[in-house]
Amino acid sequence: MNQLGSVGLIAALAFAAFAVGAGVIGGKLRSLRVVRSAERATLAFFAMVTVAVFALEYLILTNDFHNAYVAAHSNRDLFTFYKVAALWAGQEGSLLFWTWLLSIYSALAVLLNRKKNRQLMPYVVAVLMGTGAFFSSLVLFVANPFQELSLASPTGIQPFTPPDGSGLNPLLQYHSMVIHPPMLYLGYVGMVVPFAFAMAALITRQLGDNWIRTTRRWTMVPWMLLGLGILLGGNWAYAVLGWGGYWGWDPVENASLLPWLSGTAFLHSVMIQEKRGMLKVWNVVLVITTFFLSIFGTFLTRSGIVSSVHAFAQSNIGPFFAVFLSIIIFFSVTLLFLRLDHLKSENKLDSLVSRESGFLFNNWILLALVFAVLWGTLFPLISKAVQDVSVTVGAPFFNKTAIPMGLLLLFLTGAGPLLAWRKTSFQSLKRNFLVPLIIAGASGAILLIAGVRHFYAWMTLVLSIFVGVCILGEFWKGARTRMKTAGENFAQALYNLTMQNTRRYGGYVVHLGIVLLFIGFAGLAFKTHAKGLMQEGDLLRVKNYLLRCDGLVNGDTPNYEYTRALITVTKNGHAFASVHPEKRFYKASQQPTSYVSIHPTLAEDLYVVLSGLDQDTGKAVIEVFVNPLVMWVWIGGVVVFLGTLLALVPSRVEREMAEIRRTQEMAVQANDAI
Amino acid sequence: MPFKWTSIILVLGLFAASMTRADGSKKPTLESIGDQVMCLCGCVATLNHCPHRDCATVAEIRPIIEKEIAEGKDETTILQDLAIRFGVRVLAAPPARGFSLTAWILPGVGLLAGLSFVVVIARRWRKPAPVAVGVPAKPLDPKLLAAVEEERKASGLGTGG
Repeated sequence: MNQLGSVGLIAALAFAAFAVGAGVIGGKLRSLRVVRSAERATLAFFAMVTVAVFALEYLILTNDFHNAYVAAHSNRDLFTFYKVAALWAGQEGSLLFWTWLLSIYSALAVLLNRKKNRQLMPYVVAVLMGTGAFFSSLVLFVANPFQELSLASPTGIQPFTPPDGSGLNPLLQYHSMVIHPPMLYLGYVGMVVPFAFAMAALITRQLGDNWIRTTRRWTMVPWMLLGLGILLGGNWAYAVLGWGGYWGWDPVENASLLPWLSGTAFLHSVMIQEKRGMLKVWNVVLVITTFFLSIFGTFLTRSGIVSSVHAFAQSNIGPFFAVFLSIIIFFSVTLLFLRLDHLKSENKLDSLVSRESGFLFNNWILLALVFAVLWGTLFPLISKAVQDVSVTVGAPFFNKTAIPMGLLLLFLTGAGPLLAWRKTSFQSLKRNFLVPLIIAGASGAILLIAGVRHFYAWMTLVLSIFVGVCILGEFWKGARTRMKTAGENFAQALYNLTMQNTRRYGGYVVHLGIVLLFIGFAGLAFKTHAKGLMQEGDLLRVKNYLLRCDGLVNGDTPNYEYTRALITVTKNGHAFASVHPEKRFYKASQQPTSYVSIHPTLAEDLYVVLSGLDQDTGKAVIEVFVNPLVMWVWIGGVVVFLGTLLALVPSRVEREMAEIRRTQEMAVQANDAI
Repeated sequence: MPFKWTSIILVLGLFAASMTRADGSKKPTLESIGDQVMCLCGCVATLNHCPHRDCATVAEIRPIIEKEIAEGKDETTILQDLAIRFGVRVLAAPPARGFSLTAWILPGVGLLAGLSFVVVIARRWRKPAPVAVGVPAKPLDPKLLAAVEEERKASGLGTGG
């Protein structure tokens, strides 16, 4: 199997290199045969990487500890569920997984464009497979997951197979950790497709709306998956790390946020190009930035240049990524400069108070946020290089810089969609904003009276109410108009309104999800924490909760030993819940970890951690957090996901437009054939 | 126009207010300081979030903080004392002085530079305001008007009949 995997990788690299050459030559010579061979090589690349992935999974599932990767990241008693996940638990496996996802995206791009974008496709293939060649050569030559263990003995080097593996890192043995990395990688890797289309458009000078229309969905899907990956990562950190939070501004967390932010900027500014033929250069810049940040995130996670609690796969691959990143920047920026003449704006801005300006301001905040987060993440390195002083840039820095920007962004989330294209009159502003402003103002006063004194939390809640009312108002107004004009009932009107323009109303649903996320973030300001030593009969009070320890239980599974605290909770004197936090000790890796017990409600989470056992008294060290509104973070994330799915559904208008375009393209092709 | 600028100033004012409204005036607690101090055991977490039980660093730093709180020292002083004792890397955020000041300034500079860029671009892209075509009409010569009226009557035009 090791040989099969290696052969698969060698063949994959060969196919990728061939596809790059054939794509460029086919595009230059306009030879359909050569281009088709490049496309077939892309499919073959996918097939060969798939062989390698299945070979490694087979080795993991059959406990073949002669393979160094399997011995380091799995063990016999590991659940099958987690054995599958061991594929991406270490550097070599996760790079192979990255390459596989890239090969899937590339194959899909080829298959879905067999009759479309024919002028762009040769170069799209070349860029995709250029990236594929980089990653497959990295997996093959620098971080090969098919290396076999051997021992030096007096008779020479002998093959070695340990009786069991070292096991999967205990922190990774959590259900959301199984799907978190694939989602995150699908997000990172997927950004290569819009980048490939942008580069192909620049090379072929086909810089009209076509590449923008094509790449919108190719950007939305990875953007959605990246967002989901970030959310699942937060969920993992919340449930596993045991410090009571889900976001700590860790460099690895920041690395995933950066391409998501610039991708968000692109998904907004792309609308200006589609509607008004403006921001053409800017859109190319955003696509380049997003792809660059995706690779940069991977580099940051794996090179070990920054310290992180999330970095599980570090090695000396940094320089290779640095070279690849330099090539991306040089190649794309040079192309962009060479094509500036073809990227002139077709329209002018009619007014500063317009939808276009709203998008400009949205892009401004998003990019400023990208800069602030990137700067904070890299500052420890810069400080070390410039003044030889080690500094830490953690949550206090990011909270002070990013939260105000986030609040401005939240404001635009509600205000932007209410501005009209071209120009918004004062009357229209008054009509659209008066009610939301009054409701938000009144809510702000009520919150103050209710005792909300934390400025950021208060501001977040007031803005959330403002934005929520703005968005729900859009649904209400649209549905009411349909009820009057089409005689539909409210539910029908709402459904038809949404399906008529899925992109617009899907976008509104995404914005509602963002509002829910911010409401969840506001809850952080009201967190309560208590700590105590407990054994049977001991009580611990936190806020209006009373925890009573019913005993400590020790147990053993094939994978780990554990101590479990049995705790009964009453709230305001009434029975509320039973929680069972655990301290586990994983046998294979010889590492301890805490298994947090969370009792979630819409209002607040009761979060109980068994940090360990006190050596003097033998009592359990119990930490309790009462975390308000956390559930809204997860609900908001799901709403963002569903809204994006809705926006991906072709609306009635879009389907008609696509049909017209297809007819036109066929007519042009028929004309060319004659 | 005044509405537009009032809105921009309002939004920026809001932003500036939220930037400057830090929690510095609050009375320090072990919890609040613990969120601003890094544990130096290698866990890459703050003192409050160190995952290691019986962590030697936490055990060393916490009593110092408790002692200084008991002595009535404010948050800034306690953080300064810790930085002197353990180096600036013990602070979860870089100090706002020397080269580290750039860490704090540049995000704001970036934000303002971006805003200036957006405003400049928006102005450059703005359509020129519509200009009235032609010149204001001069009053017509009364003699000419009378001649036209006479001609109209003579030809029977515009009489309705």
